[in-house]
Amino acid sequence: MVSYVIRRLLGLIPTLFIITVIVFSLMHLMPGNAFQALVGLNPHIKDAAKVIAQRMANSGLNLSWPQQYVNWIVNLLHGNLGTSFEFQQPVTTLIGTALPNTVTLALTAELIILIIGIPIGVFQANRVNKGFDISTSLFAVLLYSVPGFIFALFLIFIFSFTLNWLPSMGTVTAAVPWSGDLGDRIQHLILPATALALPSVAYYTRLMRANTLQVFFQDYVRTARAKGLRSGRVLFRHVLRNAIIPITTQFGFDIGGLVGGAVILEQIFTWPGMGELTINANLNRDYPVILATTLIFAVMVLLGNLIADILLASMDPRVRYN
Amino acid sequence: MAEPLLKVRNLKTYFISKEAQVKAVDGVDFDVAPGKVLGIVGESGSGKSMTSLSLMRLVPGPQGRIVEGEVTFEGTDLLKLTERQMSDVRGNRMGMIFQEPMTALNPVLKIGEQIGEVLIRHRRVSKAEAKKQSIGLLRSVGFPRAEQIVDEYPHQLSGGMRQRAMIAMAMACQPKLLIADEPTTALDVTIQAQVLDLMRSLKNKNGTAIILITHDLGVIAEMADDVVVMYGGQVVESATADAVFDDPLHPYTTALMESIPVIDQDRERLASIPGTVPSAANFPSGCRFAPRCAMAQESCHQRMPELRELKPGHYVRCDLV
Repeated sequence: MVSYVIRRLLGLIPTLFIITVIVFSLMHLMPGNAFQALVGLNPHIKDAAKVIAQRMANSGLNLSWPQQYVNWIVNLLHGNLGTSFEFQQPVTTLIGTALPNTVTLALTAELIILIIGIPIGVFQANRVNKGFDISTSLFAVLLYSVPGFIFALFLIFIFSFTLNWLPSMGTVTAAVPWSGDLGDRIQHLILPATALALPSVAYYTRLMRANTLQVFFQDYVRTARAKGLRSGRVLFRHVLRNAIIPITTQFGFDIGGLVGGAVILEQIFTWPGMGELTINANLNRDYPVILATTLIFAVMVLLGNLIADILLASMDPRVRYN
Repeated sequence: MAEPLLKVRNLKTYFISKEAQVKAVDGVDFDVAPGKVLGIVGESGSGKSMTSLSLMRLVPGPQGRIVEGEVTFEGTDLLKLTERQMSDVRGNRMGMIFQEPMTALNPVLKIGEQIGEVLIRHRRVSKAEAKKQSIGLLRSVGFPRAEQIVDEYPHQLSGGMRQRAMIAMAMACQPKLLIADEPTTALDVTIQAQVLDLMRSLKNKNGTAIILITHDLGVIAEMADDVVVMYGGQVVESATADAVFDDPLHPYTTALMESIPVIDQDRERLASIPGTVPSAANFPSGCRFAPRCAMAQESCHQRMPELRELKPGHYVRCDLV
């Protein structure tokens, strides 16, 4: 398995290379550049055109695109992601603060999705077309049909604005003695993570319900019952053990998706994560940051796919590593 | 005849939906003697598989329901047991093997676990002991490398090996009765013979009675002591195997016998029964075989014949014989 993982990781390199070329090209096709925004719109700078040219030369933007790309790759291989035009800080520093916030948010959302979505789906399938199944299925379709950011607004309105139970901004409460405590951080995490998780909870519920129902009618489940096994063992060892397999695959795929999906929600909750960083960088044409965040999203998605494959092979003996 | 091991009386299993009432099993009676093989034969759709699932109370719900009847096994009416009590019988005193060994084994669990869990459930043995006994069981059904097979998965075995593993599973607790629903249909002919041999030797060794469900009269001839012929969810003839083969009385049985190819007979065409089995949702009003019966008369279409004991132990559902 170790050699399989290593081989797969090496296999990611060409994909990442192509992704960076595409992003690099698209980025330069966008009109304007960082210094036109930073300098050109500043009325206090007299000779804007000259300053812009000077700063572009300093940042290497006057070179040809292929040359710029090669420089970027060489720096990347040295572990240097460049310096943000906007913040005048190393990109690695910016990402170092943003990425953990986003990963925390995404992992919490994944946890909520699995802990709530899977059991509900199983209960529904176990009592199919009964009251619980029908009511929660309706609710699931509703959740699944509405975009997550709408829920974010609802959640903020209800739990922050009206009830004032939970904070709706940032990762910590500012200027209080308990600022940054674990409890404080968890409180701040609840609303954004829930908003991020809700549509996926609905999706996983539907998926788990469908899988479980399908497995219920398999011959081997009848065999298990014909052996006199208790219904609990039939459900957990024979039905769920099979029904969970497609879920684990989906889970792997979603790891990358959730990190990307957090972008909009981070804006709503002013969550200082990759989303905020990415949107700002794109608006301000902060090329080094755009490249770095895109690269990280791409790595997340590819790693998610790799995790999906590893999970599948470890859950299903019919699938081998090769 | 000694007290039968299993007595089935007036068993009715219907599939009830808003639109229709499908009488899959419609008043079936038969006995199984201890240690004997009862063959249930009939075309697809004659209700033989549903009969076997009814005995195990594994009729697929919620539409499928045993609406009436008695299934007396070792003196207890299984239909009166609670689900929990019934699960103590399944796999323990009554085992079952199915037609498709490809799909009847759980693809993600090791063979050893699937056999061992029967022993853990009914014999309350430890995991280690269950594995040890599973190896012994696999060896008894003819696996040469039983120690390795317990740790393999179903997809690593061939069809015949899977059916052997199924048999090992069903026989793990040495049941008094083994229900085999088309156990050889999905297998190659040479493997069929091996599996039948295996079942026969296990029967002789453990004194297990077998209900063998098949549409293959050759299998019946080879294995069965007694035969029940089913048609349209009913028993149309039941007798000892010798009586059924030497002296078939029901026109359907006779027609079945004639449709067996005989190698040294020089026949132009194989005899066949015209038409198809009637749908269980829409049976003809009189005798259910009448529309396809060469001997049918006007009265056959009017009145459903009773199952009569024409000769001692030989029952026939036909008014013409």
